[in-house]
Amino acid sequence: MNAVKAPETWSSRSLGSRLQHGIFYRLIGLGGRKAAYALLFFVALGYMLKPEAVRRSAPYLRRRFPGAGFFGRLRRRWLLQWTFGKTLVDRAVAGISGNFEAGVSQEEIAVIHARHAEGKGLILLSAHVGPWQVAMSILPKYLPEPVSVVLHRDAGDIDRHYFEHTGEKPPFTLIDPALGPQSAIAMAQTLQGNGLLCMMGDRPFGGGHVCRVPFLGAEIAVPFTPYYLASHTGAPIVVFLSYRTGPGKVTTTIAGTIRVPPGLGKEAGAYAPFARCFTAMLEQSVAAAPYQFFNFYNMWET
Amino acid sequence: MNVKEKLKNALVEELKLEDVTPGDIKDDAPLFGEGLGLDSLDAIELVVLVQRNFGLTMQDQEEARKAFVSVNSLAAYIEKRLA
Repeated sequence: MNAVKAPETWSSRSLGSRLQHGIFYRLIGLGGRKAAYALLFFVALGYMLKPEAVRRSAPYLRRRFPGAGFFGRLRRRWLLQWTFGKTLVDRAVAGISGNFEAGVSQEEIAVIHARHAEGKGLILLSAHVGPWQVAMSILPKYLPEPVSVVLHRDAGDIDRHYFEHTGEKPPFTLIDPALGPQSAIAMAQTLQGNGLLCMMGDRPFGGGHVCRVPFLGAEIAVPFTPYYLASHTGAPIVVFLSYRTGPGKVTTTIAGTIRVPPGLGKEAGAYAPFARCFTAMLEQSVAAAPYQFFNFYNMWET
Repeated sequence: MNVKEKLKNALVEELKLEDVTPGDIKDDAPLFGEGLGLDSLDAIELVVLVQRNFGLTMQDQEEARKAFVSVNSLAAYIEKRLA
């Protein structure tokens, strides 16, 4: 197979300690969102200067804001860390108190229903943009069909997903891509049962099944599994992105639909044009909301 | 042609297995990793293959986990569903 080896440099592990996360969760319980934001202000300041955080955010910021001077870089680093922190606080608040507002328009729901009515299942392709987890949690409220979400956690990851705060089962079925063929079967089963499969298109998982496509001026490795699934099952792909619009406020947008023809085989290159459609939508997203793109690793590393 | 033979033929033809004939596939060899050496992309194709050739969809993940182990287990599952 002509798959390109993916850089294995991203991790779902937080830079913060268990204690730091615990303090935030307790603070949210005691003083709510505003109290957590107040503490976050100082934490985000620290992350703006923390060498590991600087190293992780630099590749994206350099690409998104080429030519920025020292103070420009500092300001952008602050805005990225501050926005990321507020998104995480909002996620925890959503999990602890259920307090968030989601703006899913009737037009978006109508598009999802129309694509789903084709009867081939539906792939909702998203990215690590904005409060994507909270956004996905609202989908089952609008859709009667079963929803599965492809989600991996690294061993030792202490940051909680919003649904882990209550101890309740998530409102969707989780599929861990680390399970290899077993997870691939579960994904195909979801679509065969005309279900909705939510997955991320911007980060490769593991070492294979990626293709290289341009993003912000140079190539990155992205998974081609969503397009492979679409080709083999006939499922349309709806690119679904979410943004934080205020404290506890989420808005979603459908960036477009990608249709992949059948019979493309296993060659990575066959899926690159469709992956390119996705990264083009992602480029529009980071142009409009540059501080809501949360990939803290060097995507352009070969 | 029985289910196992049909399954082996479909595996070779539809997964485009190189240098493998249906007769080379052992009934009890693992489909993934050691054995037939299929990967996660093949797993997706396999789910589609079962539907296309036998008209079966598998909704239960635990059931699928047990069926997609070897030709033996998959054929047994198909025969049971078709009975």
